[in-house]
Amino acid sequence: MYMIRALDIYKNFGHLKVLKGVSLTVEKGEVVAIIGPSGSGKSTFLRCLNRLETIDKGMIEVEGEIMVQNGPDGKAVYSDENRIALIRRKMGMVFQNFNLFPHKSVLENLILAPMLVNKVPREEAEKKALELLEKVGLKKKANNYPFELSGGQQQRVAIARALAMNPDIMCFDEPTSALDPELTGEVLKVMKDLALEHMTMIVVTHEIGFAREVANRVIFMDNGIIVEEGIAKEVIDNPKNERTREFLSKVLRI
Amino acid sequence: MEHFEYVLKILPPMLEGWKVTLTLFFLTLVMSLPLGTVMGIARLSHFKPLAWFMEFYVWLFRGTPLLLQLLFIYFGLMTVGIRLERFPAAVLAFVLNYAAYIAEIIRAGIQSIDKGQYEAADVLGLTRFQTMTNIILPQVFKRVIPPIGNEVINLVKDSALIYVLAISELLRVAKTAVMRDETFVPFIIAAVFYLFMTAIVQQFFKWVEHKFDYYR
Ligand SMILES: Nc1ncnc2c1ncn2[C@@H]1O[C@H](COP(=O)(O)OP(=O)(O)O)[C@@H](O)[C@H]1O
Ligand SMILES: [Mg+2]
Repeated sequence: MYMIRALDIYKNFGHLKVLKGVSLTVEKGEVVAIIGPSGSGKSTFLRCLNRLETIDKGMIEVEGEIMVQNGPDGKAVYSDENRIALIRRKMGMVFQNFNLFPHKSVLENLILAPMLVNKVPREEAEKKALELLEKVGLKKKANNYPFELSGGQQQRVAIARALAMNPDIMCFDEPTSALDPELTGEVLKVMKDLALEHMTMIVVTHEIGFAREVANRVIFMDNGIIVEEGIAKEVIDNPKNERTREFLSKVLRI
Repeated sequence: MEHFEYVLKILPPMLEGWKVTLTLFFLTLVMSLPLGTVMGIARLSHFKPLAWFMEFYVWLFRGTPLLLQLLFIYFGLMTVGIRLERFPAAVLAFVLNYAAYIAEIIRAGIQSIDKGQYEAADVLGLTRFQTMTNIILPQVFKRVIPPIGNEVINLVKDSALIYVLAISELLRVAKTAVMRDETFVPFIIAAVFYLFMTAIVQQFFKWVEHKFDYYR
């Protein structure tokens, strides 16, 4: 059963064609890594999936619910806002820059949306939040403020915050790119644990080692299209496409 | 000794003047802060006519002297048959003027918040209103404390402008006494009053800033 299906997505920023017909289907429990050079449209694609950006053309369906599809004139038409809100609630998102709420403690960051959006009572929200913090190894930091945490800790809080909404799909946009190298491991570990629990995940990343080990499937994007995709180990160990090969040799040499 | 007696004699009328100054000060603050905040948000509204109107409003009130606005609201309105008492007219002019400045500060504060904050709130399912009240504005308030503090200090000093409507605020009382008694002492007393008020304002804002130190 697929969790999310995107068909032939087109997206322009003004005259800049950023996505030129990208399609992706993600099965339940699957971990998909999206790799590719900077500026190839990876973030834009991920952001289109949960409507942080709107698409110009194409279809996006999440767990059988249509978020957007082409109208009779071939241009994308979005479903009504209430429906989209429900669909988006199935998706969690983790950003490169964490985007924690600086004026809220770690615990407050985690309970805010469950309480406001899902109307979960405070007690219940806190209980769940503490469980999640335990899971990401930060229960002790519940009452600290984001500025008191390292980048790696902040990103783990951000993951826990997304999980607090009980998403079916987790999207990550270069979750370790803003971190010092020695801090990437703790974040990747949390993500790996999630994968082992069969969370459906879409991960834009430059961590080729992580993609190879944890992802089931790798998508290589370049210049707004998917150039190559397949089983993670196969694509990374034996890329067929010239551009994939070139990219991987560059990334892996460093 | 002679000076001391003079001070005692002049103090009661000066305190009366000070009361007028303080009344204007507090009335202006109490009304212009919330009004300016709403205007600053409206300035960024997606409903364009509202945003444009606010832009025009801010331009109008920041682009002309407060003195002119005072005269305009009192005398100008009179010529079209709207008669306000002098003090309410002064308060109205001050509130409208200060709201424009506060609105600009709030607008700049809102725009200084990272776009990632909106996106994080958005993907968590918060409505625009919830995002504004729970995420954006609390952070804006911390950031605008210093510039608002500056405006409040300005307000202490600008309050003297209502003399043009022949309202006996602190400085006008002092000036009257100076002319009548041919001594500078009332000016010195007035200066002490103003310095006292600005010192209090400064301390207050220092304290508020400190209150917000718990996060960065
Ligand atoms: N909001 C935006 N407005 C205009 N151009 C954008 C915007 N976001 C991204 N782009 C452009 O779209 C292209 C793809 O960007 P992005 O999706 O961020 O690539 P990647 O994540 O693969 O590095 C880049 O050329 C980028 O400059
Ligand atoms: Mg990117």
